[in-house]
Amino acid sequence: MRSVRGMRIVSILAVGGLAAGLAACGDAPESSSGTGSSAAPAAGTYKTCMVTDIGGIDDRSFNASAWKGLTEAKADSDKLAEPKNVSSKAEADYVPNLTQFAQQGCNFNLAVGGLMTDATKQVAAANADKQFAIVDSAIPGATNVYPMQFDTAQAAFLAGYLSAGYSKSKKVATYGGLKIPPVTIFMDGFADGVAYWNTQKNDKVQVLGWDKATQNGSFAESFTDQGKGKALSDGFVAQGADVIMPVAGGTGLGTAANAADKYAVVWVDVDGCESAQQYCKAFLTTVVKNIPEAVKEAAVKGADSTGMLTGSYLGTLENDGVSIAPYHEFDSKVSAELKGEVDKLKADIIAGTVKVTSPAQPK
Amino acid sequence: MTASTVEAAQAVVEPTRYWTRQRKVGVGLAAVGVLAALLFGALATGRKAEFTLAETISGSAVGINGTVGAVLFGAIAALAGAAMLVTAKRWFGWLLGVGIVATLISFLCWQLSQAPDNLNTIPLGSVARSSVTLALPLILGALAGVLCERSAVINVAIEGQFLMGAFAAAMFATLAGSVWVGILAAGVGGLIIALLLAVLAIRFLVDQVVLGVVLNVFALGLTGFLYEQLMAKDQTRFNQPTFVPEWDIPGLSDIPLIGPALFKGNIFLYGAIVLVVLIHVGLFYTRWGLRTRAVGEHPAAADTLGVKVLALRYRNVLVGGLVAGFGGAYFTLLSTTNFNKNMTSGLGFVALAALIFGRWSPIGATLAALFFGFCSALAFSLGSINSPIPSQFLNMLPYIATIVAVAGLVGRVRAPAADGTPYIKG
Repeated sequence: MRSVRGMRIVSILAVGGLAAGLAACGDAPESSSGTGSSAAPAAGTYKTCMVTDIGGIDDRSFNASAWKGLTEAKADSDKLAEPKNVSSKAEADYVPNLTQFAQQGCNFNLAVGGLMTDATKQVAAANADKQFAIVDSAIPGATNVYPMQFDTAQAAFLAGYLSAGYSKSKKVATYGGLKIPPVTIFMDGFADGVAYWNTQKNDKVQVLGWDKATQNGSFAESFTDQGKGKALSDGFVAQGADVIMPVAGGTGLGTAANAADKYAVVWVDVDGCESAQQYCKAFLTTVVKNIPEAVKEAAVKGADSTGMLTGSYLGTLENDGVSIAPYHEFDSKVSAELKGEVDKLKADIIAGTVKVTSPAQPK
Repeated sequence: MTASTVEAAQAVVEPTRYWTRQRKVGVGLAAVGVLAALLFGALATGRKAEFTLAETISGSAVGINGTVGAVLFGAIAALAGAAMLVTAKRWFGWLLGVGIVATLISFLCWQLSQAPDNLNTIPLGSVARSSVTLALPLILGALAGVLCERSAVINVAIEGQFLMGAFAAAMFATLAGSVWVGILAAGVGGLIIALLLAVLAIRFLVDQVVLGVVLNVFALGLTGFLYEQLMAKDQTRFNQPTFVPEWDIPGLSDIPLIGPALFKGNIFLYGAIVLVVLIHVGLFYTRWGLRTRAVGEHPAAADTLGVKVLALRYRNVLVGGLVAGFGGAYFTLLSTTNFNKNMTSGLGFVALAALIFGRWSPIGATLAALFFGFCSALAFSLGSINSPIPSQFLNMLPYIATIVAVAGLVGRVRAPAADGTPYIKG
């Protein structure tokens, strides 16, 4: 008898925990079905809905950025309704979450992250009258999916060059969260930027933690474990590195927190001095992916157009889709000469005189 | 009764058999040594492999030609294995130690000799310090497990206790502006989960494994929700603790290798050492320990002798919660200075593995945790010298090593007999 009562309490705890977890992750899709139409909508009726990948809405990184883009779009255009989002807990949630939103009559369904490619392809094919959009991926042949991709290697190249110029020990380091293209593209660009510095200056700055030729390096296998971030950084520092670029979401916070004056940190995705202000003094710069702007533009364009969005978005240095953030507290520690060279290099990449390549680049 | 008689009988018969466990391990070690000498020797280059006991590679280092080192140390391991055949039981521990270390050096000679210029030195002091730091949460989690499981309550909720501890530490250390308040709060955080565990397992007789899993879900959801509602909205006010201070022990902290690892510590390191000793002595040399073990092995017998079974279980589970909560503070006050969702990333389960690997004893669990920490630290170090081993394999290293060690060296492990069974006074 007692165990029956016990199981009841246990179920309450389980449901409580799951519900709290869900509540933390925004509105769950309602099951009411609406009537969707893709005709040009009246004021406040174009519904934008977003499904996050497993990182969740508050990842201080690309899910958060995409959501920021949708909320900004709402402020910009009065044709848009209040945006909605749902966080995916597991990869198995992608298809149901996208389907629910499409069936609820969401006009603009945003999938965030390359991990959702297959799910988006499947759901978009089943809901041909709805506009879909995906960040960090493209689905060739699907006319109702608007792809938004970023050539992050270009900006990471600048960061690599800057780090090589800034490093006094002539050793810079990088590590990733997982060995997947959206992560390794940063590491490729970074390594090439350092290599470019070496050829220009006839110098020998070494990159620890990533070898572009063999595509092998250091990975935390986690986007949440800050202890691993710290341990990886300690390993690099022991080898003498004085600049570290973690491409590992929350894991990287362990690197930022332990920087002190041992090393400088290059942050990624969103300007570190905004997304992780408390560690601003550790950030040399950030390799920024301007996801909010891309998403905002797509949502506003979607509301204005009568048919499906055509074409695609590719963020580059030229259209400011990728960039490196201001130096903030390192402004006085980076020489004017080096700043000038970085600006010049940016112009060269835009002009095409310096080519940045990576196997992980969007095709 | 019968089991111990049989074991005693075997112990008497054993010397007449030639192929004892020690000799079998000896053959295995000799084979590993020969393999290391051949394989690593062939892969290594003639460049130098350098070792330093310091924390960085800037100091003086001992160097050896890569190929020579790999073959030499492989041969030493093989000799240690061969020696076991002769000496059998005597010096087994020492020979095994020499064999493992020599195999490791042989491996490192290969890795270092092929590393790029300026990266062919391994700072062993840094590896040692990282090993201990990475082991700390595992030690504290495993100790919490020892306290619970020795009194027969299975604790799968270490992960949840960690999370609550980590969250409470970050939040209250920031609000109060003091890490000590944070550590106290962490203890309370762990205690809350322990209280739920104790009441539901002991009073309501819920299946303890299911219960542990549910408590983990509950802790993950609750901390995630509070993170979202408070911390994410105002990081400065709720989620900006400081590091715990570093306490160097003068003199001792200058010893190479173990100095930085053991004597440049902090509250968590010294706390863990004190707790390991306390719990070991308490468990095996005090009345409390005897009663705890009795309750874990045969609660009915203990009850007959007047031990208050349920009260003792409550007390031990709650103390375990305090210890695990304290371990949780490690994540937000030592690893880093902020809380993020699910930041314990499964380490509570690794602590549980260390507990089993260490045969439910405080010292065994500590050694298991240190072993695991060392393997992780080694993997990170190899990553930082651009090892050609694919990163996936490097990251598997701690797990593979644990499996090999559990299967090959630990032998049969036995949980406390009553572990997981609730006690109903009959």
